Amino acid sequence: MAELDDIIHQPLRLRIMAALTALPDAQGLEFSRLKKLTGATDGNLGAHIETLAKAGYVAVDKAFVGKKPQTTVTATAAGRGAFARHVATLQEIIAGAARKS
Amino acid sequence: MSIESREAAAALSDIEDIVRRVRQSRIYQLASLLLIMWGALTFTGYLVTWFSPRHAVYAWPAVYVVGIAGSAAISVSNRMRSGIRTFDIRMFAALLLFIAFGIFCCWLGHFGPRQLSTFWPIYFMLIYTIAGLWVGHAFVAIGLSIIVLTLAGYFFIGDAFDLWMAFVNGGGLMLGGLWMRRS
Repeated sequence: MAELDDIIHQPLRLRIMAALTALPDAQGLEFSRLKKLTGATDGNLGAHIETLAKAGYVAVDKAFVGKKPQTTVTATAAGRGAFARHVATLQEIIAGAARKS
Repeated sequence: MSIESREAAAALSDIEDIVRRVRQSRIYQLASLLLIMWGALTFTGYLVTWFSPRHAVYAWPAVYVVGIAGSAAISVSNRMRSGIRTFDIRMFAALLLFIAFGIFCCWLGHFGPRQLSTFWPIYFMLIYTIAGLWVGHAFVAIGLSIIVLTLAGYFFIGDAFDLWMAFVNGGGLMLGGLWMRRS
């Protein structure tokens, strides 16, 4: 059986990746919208995005819209692949338990 | 790393919940743009009807033509950005059938100007409310609020009915769109 991805498995990071991979390729979410969708606080979300970015699972784009800074987070191809494998492993675990019982 | 099936099921359920929220958020984003545009157009239509009733006969067809063209433009722009088609030929046909049935009802009922100004918002908001049962409760709340306020205007507001409708229908749609954008 494939291993679960330690980086993605943390609950908030799982939610971040689920939200980003639900979008079409190359489309990202603004920090504020991601915060609302995941129910995270600013600091918590920022720290977990940094962990995902270090792993190469998300790309962070900081830009100014008018005078307001805007941070957009996008899932990378590596992140999408890792998330798909993680979900497949979760499904395998459930299927395996169902076979045993 | 190994976990139990119960934990795996909880993680998958969490993922499903977030995916559902993202989809709903994208629907709300698109719908909010459409609501704000239709709100501004109907606000203008009712104001023209209130200030210059003889021009209403030109104003309302213009509202519908600009509204349908604007809806198609917003949909095309959304499709180019997200790759998701939200307005196609079947939806256009459905809209035409919906409007045709509305016109038939007005003809059958021999509606006067006041009845027409009441019927169309209620008719549109009824479909909007029904769609909301599937796509999101914000649609139901906005639809029902406008229906109730429209009926209140029909029964209790006298000569200022078109002015009332400019704010209830036009303003209501715009406020609803802004609210949806924030939700």
